[in-house]
Amino acid sequence: MLLRQRSWAALGSAALLMGVLSACGSSPSASGSSNVTLVFANQGLGTELKATQTAVKGFEKLHPHIKVKIETLSANSNDAYQSLVTDFTSGSSTPDVITADVIWPAAFAAAHWIQPLSASQYHLNHFFQGMVKAGEYKGTLYAIPWFINVEGLYYRTDLVKTPPKTFSALVADAKAVQKKHPKMYGLAFEGDKYEGAVTVFQDVSGGFGGEFLNAQGKPVINSRANIKALTWLDNLIKKGISPTAVTGWEEGQVQQAFLSGNAVFATNWPYLYPLAEAQGSAVKNKVGFAPPPAIASGKVTASLGGDVLVINKNTKYPKQAEELVKYLTSSKTMTQRALISGDPPARTDAYTKSLIAQAPWFAQEEKVYKYAVPRPVTPLYPQISAAIQTALSEVYSGQASPKAALDQAQQKAKSIISNNGQ
Amino acid sequence: MASKPVTRIPGRAFRPRPGHQTYTARRARVGYLFVLPAVIMLALVSVYPLLYNAWLSLHHDVLTDPLATHFSGLANYHLLLTDSEFWGDFLRTLIFTVISVAIELVLGMVLALVVSRKFRARSLVRASILIPWAIPTAVSAMLWKMFFDQRTGFVDFFLGLLHLPGSHEVWFNSPFWAWLPIILSDMWKNTPFVALLLLAGLQGIPHELYESARIDGANAWQIFWRVTVPLMKPTILVALIFRTLSALLIFDTIFVMTGGGPGISTEVVSYYNWYQFMTSLNFGYGAAISVGITIIAMALAFLYVRLMRQGGGFQV
Repeated sequence: MLLRQRSWAALGSAALLMGVLSACGSSPSASGSSNVTLVFANQGLGTELKATQTAVKGFEKLHPHIKVKIETLSANSNDAYQSLVTDFTSGSSTPDVITADVIWPAAFAAAHWIQPLSASQYHLNHFFQGMVKAGEYKGTLYAIPWFINVEGLYYRTDLVKTPPKTFSALVADAKAVQKKHPKMYGLAFEGDKYEGAVTVFQDVSGGFGGEFLNAQGKPVINSRANIKALTWLDNLIKKGISPTAVTGWEEGQVQQAFLSGNAVFATNWPYLYPLAEAQGSAVKNKVGFAPPPAIASGKVTASLGGDVLVINKNTKYPKQAEELVKYLTSSKTMTQRALISGDPPARTDAYTKSLIAQAPWFAQEEKVYKYAVPRPVTPLYPQISAAIQTALSEVYSGQASPKAALDQAQQKAKSIISNNGQ
Repeated sequence: MASKPVTRIPGRAFRPRPGHQTYTARRARVGYLFVLPAVIMLALVSVYPLLYNAWLSLHHDVLTDPLATHFSGLANYHLLLTDSEFWGDFLRTLIFTVISVAIELVLGMVLALVVSRKFRARSLVRASILIPWAIPTAVSAMLWKMFFDQRTGFVDFFLGLLHLPGSHEVWFNSPFWAWLPIILSDMWKNTPFVALLLLAGLQGIPHELYESARIDGANAWQIFWRVTVPLMKPTILVALIFRTLSALLIFDTIFVMTGGGPGISTEVVSYYNWYQFMTSLNFGYGAAISVGITIIAMALAFLYVRLMRQGGGFQV
């Protein structure tokens, strides 16, 4: 009898296991047509999350049958990208709507992970055109700009009279201040091995007249202008204008250095401005935001960042997802977001008089937007960027000369592009 | 078990009637039934992905170019054999593995010997040495990254306090010193695990052996080398297998601490594998790298098992 009981127990446990496994496979069935839940993947924390929550509440009020669940991804761009790739490769139908870094849509579109969008629905003529272009892949629109970001140069108005227009002026200004305040950093910049180091490098490279890919899409990473640009950045560290620690700094550490009043200059994004002007900031009323410097033959370059909205190709609710995108990218929602989180609207008509009155720095930021330069729009960009990240890191750590490192990055970029040409 | 059909139901097991299974056969059947769920589970989560991965590695499959996916034979493996970045990473991984496993084994043994002694609050100490091991790797890596931060870390602070060199070292900007926090964090997390395994082995050694060794006049050192170590050999080998394989596959610590930097001086094979999958979105080549790593890991495991068969066991 005991044996029989045991075999039943074994069978039972097997059955239980199968039950568990099959439960894993079946998806929660679509709950009728009336109530729909959209998953909205997002990266922001703090005030940015608050702005998203406020927008979502407004949307839910307008569409009582659509619920929106906010899914917060890592604040680190590389990590967020990875978790989205995992979702997409599994063919998941969620997240339905995704906040994407401006450099992702090309890869997502090439992989057929996101939906083409119809331009006529979104009043695109009211948007910054450089950002609209970044959401197009092979002539088709895949992404709607949500907020614009440019990496510009923060400076201390109490220490520097006018923002430097050339690289040598920046160094001279920094040195002059450091002479009086030896503990201060001249320029705080992002030098860790990650995407942010590449946007800083692009600012400087453009200023020296360089670029990553030329108009034909061929890599020109080891151009003389780029070698000069990287040498300039490396010399900042070698000559003590930037601390060696920048080799591990990301936006957060640069922000900390500048807000604590320890840096004359800092490269960073617009989000920093409202924080600098907030109550209790050590640099309140002492902050300016300017386009990065350039030499005569160069081009003033402020790397374009910012987030766009894309829709998952496998979403079960494409119509509702589009409604959400439309609502979030409306002029009114963007102005509201700018007020809550300081994210600069991607639409020109969202810069209302009342917004400028409440947040005067937007007027100063708008002047930098016209120098916005996107990073290369290609699905291969993440790989090309990784090659550049390695090169920068090798130079900053003294393992290679700027020329040797960029030569190597050029070789890698060439093989990345030719391998994909099959 | 089969050789000992003990008499729980007397008389029945020995006189099978025609048409009825023997007791042992029925027992075996029940055994298979019990094993079945585990086998299914393993097949689903381990065998299937392994085969799928091998299949994937024979294809050109880059996600950003889905239309170009095609069967490409051994092309990915050819690339792997000639990829100097992979072999550079492999060498670094190997050196890291040897160093970290050696340190962890020695320290783990010391720790095991200490907590096997009788002293007050022994169970408290035993429980508390396990704490680092219970902390997720990514968290402990983050912790050690902060310890070594040039401005806020305590390492810098104490070195400065004692006027020792290195107090203003930007550890993660040096191709050599960047390994120090990596190895320390790995060691901090995994030594307790080794100690726990060794402690189990230590307690399995019969007390009489120590006693007779002492009666024969052996000193503590001799007892350790002649009694403890030989008898612990199987346990040591088990600990070695576990640690070697997981050190070879180190990923989280590197990912969190350095991202393979500065340059690629702390890049390891798993990191490169992750890069090919998740940044290049080159699933074909990524799969080939995975297969390569699996083969290397299996070869090592096989080697250890052979060693264990030859020298293991309790026959001294």
